[in-house]
Amino acid sequence: MARSEELFDAIVDGKAALAQSLVGDLLAAGAAPMVIISDTLIPAMDEVGQLFQDEEYFVPELMMAGRAMKAAMEPLRPLMVASGAKPAGVVVAGTVKGDLHDIGKNLVLSMLEGSGFKVIDLGTDVPPAKFVEAIRLNQPDILCLSALLTVTMLAMKATIDAVVAAGLRDGIKIMVGGAPVHEKFAKEIGADGFGVTATDAVAVARSLVAA
Amino acid sequence: MTNHKPAGPKPIGPRRQRVLDAISHRTPDQVPVDFGGSAVTGIHVSVVAALRDYYGLEKRLVKVCEPYQMLGLIEPDLQDAIGIDVSPLFGRTTMFGFDNHNWRPWLFNGLEVLVSGDFRTTLDPDTGSTLIFPKGDTSLRPSGRMPKDGYFFDAIIRQKGEIDYDHLDAEDNLESYKPLTEAQLDAIAADVAAANTGERAVFASLVNTALGDIAFVPGIDLAEPRGVRDVADWYVLTKARPDIVHQIYDRQVAAGIENLARIHARVGDAIDVLFICGTDFGTQTSSFCSVKTFDSLWKPHYTDLCRWIHDNTTWKTFKHSCGASERFFESMIAAGIDIINPVQCSAVGMDPQMLKNKYKGRLVFWGGGVDTQETLPFGTPEAVRQQVLERCEIFSQGGGFVFNAIHNVQAMTPLENVVAMFDAVKTFNGRT
Repeated sequence: MARSEELFDAIVDGKAALAQSLVGDLLAAGAAPMVIISDTLIPAMDEVGQLFQDEEYFVPELMMAGRAMKAAMEPLRPLMVASGAKPAGVVVAGTVKGDLHDIGKNLVLSMLEGSGFKVIDLGTDVPPAKFVEAIRLNQPDILCLSALLTVTMLAMKATIDAVVAAGLRDGIKIMVGGAPVHEKFAKEIGADGFGVTATDAVAVARSLVAA
Repeated sequence: MTNHKPAGPKPIGPRRQRVLDAISHRTPDQVPVDFGGSAVTGIHVSVVAALRDYYGLEKRLVKVCEPYQMLGLIEPDLQDAIGIDVSPLFGRTTMFGFDNHNWRPWLFNGLEVLVSGDFRTTLDPDTGSTLIFPKGDTSLRPSGRMPKDGYFFDAIIRQKGEIDYDHLDAEDNLESYKPLTEAQLDAIAADVAAANTGERAVFASLVNTALGDIAFVPGIDLAEPRGVRDVADWYVLTKARPDIVHQIYDRQVAAGIENLARIHARVGDAIDVLFICGTDFGTQTSSFCSVKTFDSLWKPHYTDLCRWIHDNTTWKTFKHSCGASERFFESMIAAGIDIINPVQCSAVGMDPQMLKNKYKGRLVFWGGGVDTQETLPFGTPEAVRQQVLERCEIFSQGGGFVFNAIHNVQAMTPLENVVAMFDAVKTFNGRT
């Protein structure tokens, strides 16, 4: 199947209801769910990411595209599960303990989901033990930790330490991000990857699962 | 009918004079200093308490003057010890919609502080977090949450269901912007009179004219907020329905000007600096919108507000915007904004020397003194000292600079670093 230009535009323009309805039309016409994702949805989110990098898109546009992607994925997700199709990777994510901020995390997760990753979102103010439990349960490829505050950045280290103590560190890659987080800090606390923006996060996640 | 006369001419002491010089782009005798002047230039209550101990001041509990971020009141004895040139003038009603009065002790992470008698909280049994109530009314749904062992509150989103962007009423998002009551005006006039000693410059945050500030979007002061109250939905609204956003800003500015006119009629020019808006336009590396969007969606409203202020008062207009905000500075200046804060030099495109070279004489930098994301909380005292001296050297040339850290000094900031910051400013100013 060639790319559906209408669906591509609906995602890029952030039109959630239209995107979902177009996915329904494509499924009814016999398109395979995985093909819709790989030929149209992922390229559309790549385009959104590029527009963001080029500063033609900003946070509102990114959010609208993310919502359109989520709406488009809704009818596809159960079909993907039923068919046993493999995602680009499995991600467990959350904002670390003591921090209630989730806008940045949600942006990153919508971009990751739009890029074919399966995302398990633990929410905000997530204690290290809950991350450990989720890793055991879901066996993700990547653990994503978010923090907005300088006072909660240190909870990222506590979380990574807990993952190490639980003997789970070798099986996963860890990405960190958030306004005050920087590459040096990421390295110091033992993370494998760091992204400044939501689109960076997708590139980093892709490289980590490919490594 | 009571006939109120505006306050008479103010005496001008050296501290106030240096602020007036700096904000008028004249070289002051020393770099003026603000800490505690506003809700974006303050110090966390735990650090204020530690500073009182450090300077050997009278033992007393510190008042939480701003409960959302848990900022501590810096009283005159501590202002003197630090060398602060600015006095705060907050409205009595807090962001949670209750008044700061009837102070009572409250145990905060092991530290006893003073909070308003209407600062009413409960513990969430599931998470151990502290919940706070709008208007201090525990019969309402809580509007703020502080995580267990946390240091400040965040808004609880109480928006009713999903937003139908095709059917919105701007009025729903305007509930917080009402005319001041006569009692509120009387209180403001009394507070201005108390602050207007002439010793320090008066920095007023009295009327909410913040356009789209996400701290206010959730309506944490309201019993049952209507309209768009989820922050993510608000960002989408700016793109999906700019017509509604214009209506909100139009009416918000009109209400703000009406209130400011009534305040001005009572207090005259007793205010030196007016906080007008804390909406952040910058991120670490980019911005929340394009300059084109800023110019179409925000600039006309800032222009209306600033024009009234400049046509009718001597007050200088203070705008806060975190992050990589430089791309908006020309538009802000054109709109009538006099002062920018917090001057986040660690963000992309915010090099101190470049900023000073480009905007000298046109925009006052109120902040930028030290990085609060890395240097102040995680650096050494010497690193803090070096950065403060360097920033003072760059920004103080020809006035146009009031020293402040980049945003509030946060909890857990090492005391020796905070003191090193104050000492470095004193060193620069030749005080030691």
